[in-house]
Amino acid sequence: MSETVVSTTGWKPNPRAARRRRADHLATAFGMVMAGILVLVLASILWTLLSRGLAGLSAAAIMKPMGPPGSSSGLANAIVGSLIQTFMALLMATPLGLGCGIYLSEYGTETNKFASCVRFVSDVLMSVPSILVGLFVYQVLVAPFGHFSALAGSVALAILAVPIIVRTTEDMLRLVPTSMREAGAALGATRWRVTLSLCLRSAKTGVLTGILLALARVSGETAPLLFTSLGNQNWSFSLNRPMASLPVTIYQYAGASYEDWVQLAWAGALLVTMGVLAINIAVRVSARRG
Amino acid sequence: MTETDPQVAKSPEVALAVRNLNFYYGENHALHDISIDFPARRVTAMIGPSGCGKSTLLRVFNRMYDLYPGQRATGEVIFDGRNVLERDLDLNILRARVGMVFQKPTPFPMSIYDNIAFGLRLHEKLNKADMDARVQDVLTRVALWNEVRDRLNAPASGLSGGQQQRLCIARSIATRPEVLLLDEPTSALDPISTARIEELLDELKEEFTIAIVTHNMQQAARCADQVAFFYMGRLIEVDSADRMFTNPKQQQTQDYITGRFG
Repeated sequence: MSETVVSTTGWKPNPRAARRRRADHLATAFGMVMAGILVLVLASILWTLLSRGLAGLSAAAIMKPMGPPGSSSGLANAIVGSLIQTFMALLMATPLGLGCGIYLSEYGTETNKFASCVRFVSDVLMSVPSILVGLFVYQVLVAPFGHFSALAGSVALAILAVPIIVRTTEDMLRLVPTSMREAGAALGATRWRVTLSLCLRSAKTGVLTGILLALARVSGETAPLLFTSLGNQNWSFSLNRPMASLPVTIYQYAGASYEDWVQLAWAGALLVTMGVLAINIAVRVSARRG
Repeated sequence: MTETDPQVAKSPEVALAVRNLNFYYGENHALHDISIDFPARRVTAMIGPSGCGKSTLLRVFNRMYDLYPGQRATGEVIFDGRNVLERDLDLNILRARVGMVFQKPTPFPMSIYDNIAFGLRLHEKLNKADMDARVQDVLTRVALWNEVRDRLNAPASGLSGGQQQRLCIARSIATRPEVLLLDEPTSALDPISTARIEELLDELKEEFTIAIVTHNMQQAARCADQVAFFYMGRLIEVDSADRMFTNPKQQQTQDYITGRFG
């Protein structure tokens, strides 16, 4: 034990280390305060929603269809209308989004001009204001036929859902390692089989998550439905006629001067929020399983 | 370099004959004028420092490079009377006849059973009983059957690294290829799993022509009948394993196997 290596400062307090520590504390504190503010904002929204929404949420609100003010009406037709339209939208958007995402990831290499173009259009579509999509569908599917329709509403929602599905499908497929594709090809599998049986299969949780996120995103959309499915006071199951939906009903009722309508609007908002929350939980559960 | 080894000479049959092979990654000329024979039912090890082109050569034999635009090969690789570099060759048939095992185990996202069945279903139509028999047969041959017989329907990702690699070998030989290409198959494995795979190679060479890329000189000495040394995209020397490691003809080979570089 003759000589040990000793630094020149030893255990003496180091002013630079102290300064770094202070900066570290400051940065941590800043991050925590910002996170706290965000949680506070979200909590207050939820609190308002719960306190106002629960008051209006009753068996009648869910079971009975919409009606004139003061008639103890409900939201049943709007709930069912929303379910039908989002389901239809997903039915149209999923194959389109999946196919497009697969193309971009598996065939659309960086040098492919067409693929770059598709990717760009899809990304632009993701940030297009939703009311613009509503106007577009109005021009194409409402004005020429002379009437609003649930189908037009579904198409508008589908247009909003597609880019989300495209983006997540492409991203998730790109996460599949090249070694998987090579191992599949090395067995003599064709490209489409490698894509479907191996790549899509190993990315299925992520792809499913993307579809659910798209569902969550469009289920609260109001603007694209305003000039497409319009809304409907009565039950309607026809895709060819105007159909009620929760977001549009909230829009109509929240600004009304009738107390019971306003209360129903809050109940509707609570329902939409719970639905979206349920989808998000489903996403997390499925992601954990995968 | 042209002198043939007596052991190799005993089996004149050549499974793969490479003639004047050049390979390019875009502008980068990666393999220069390679000519080498791979004797049938023998293990040929390819050694050399990283980037010397040995993996590149392996990936020519099953046209793996075809997946990537900009990579191309010229020359000849004669397999069963045909040049596998021919443009109109059916790649799916080629790859069924020339199997490949990669450095990292790549279990497919499915059950152990289906990992084997996947390749079989691509090329053969088998009923359930035949399929079961084939799956059991190949798993037995890679000494995995006893370890997985009770959980054939469990996901393959749950196996250990060594088990996954043996599964991948089983998957490759299930389709009954004639040539088996192994790209550093044990570099991601522990010594015990490595030893098992080396034993396995010894049994497999009775039926398959094996080409193995390895960084492990001892592995090449243990497993290979023939050893080829590559350096900077050129084939420097090819000889029997015995002679290569005791009495190499080229100075570069000598320097590499004695650890002076690479």
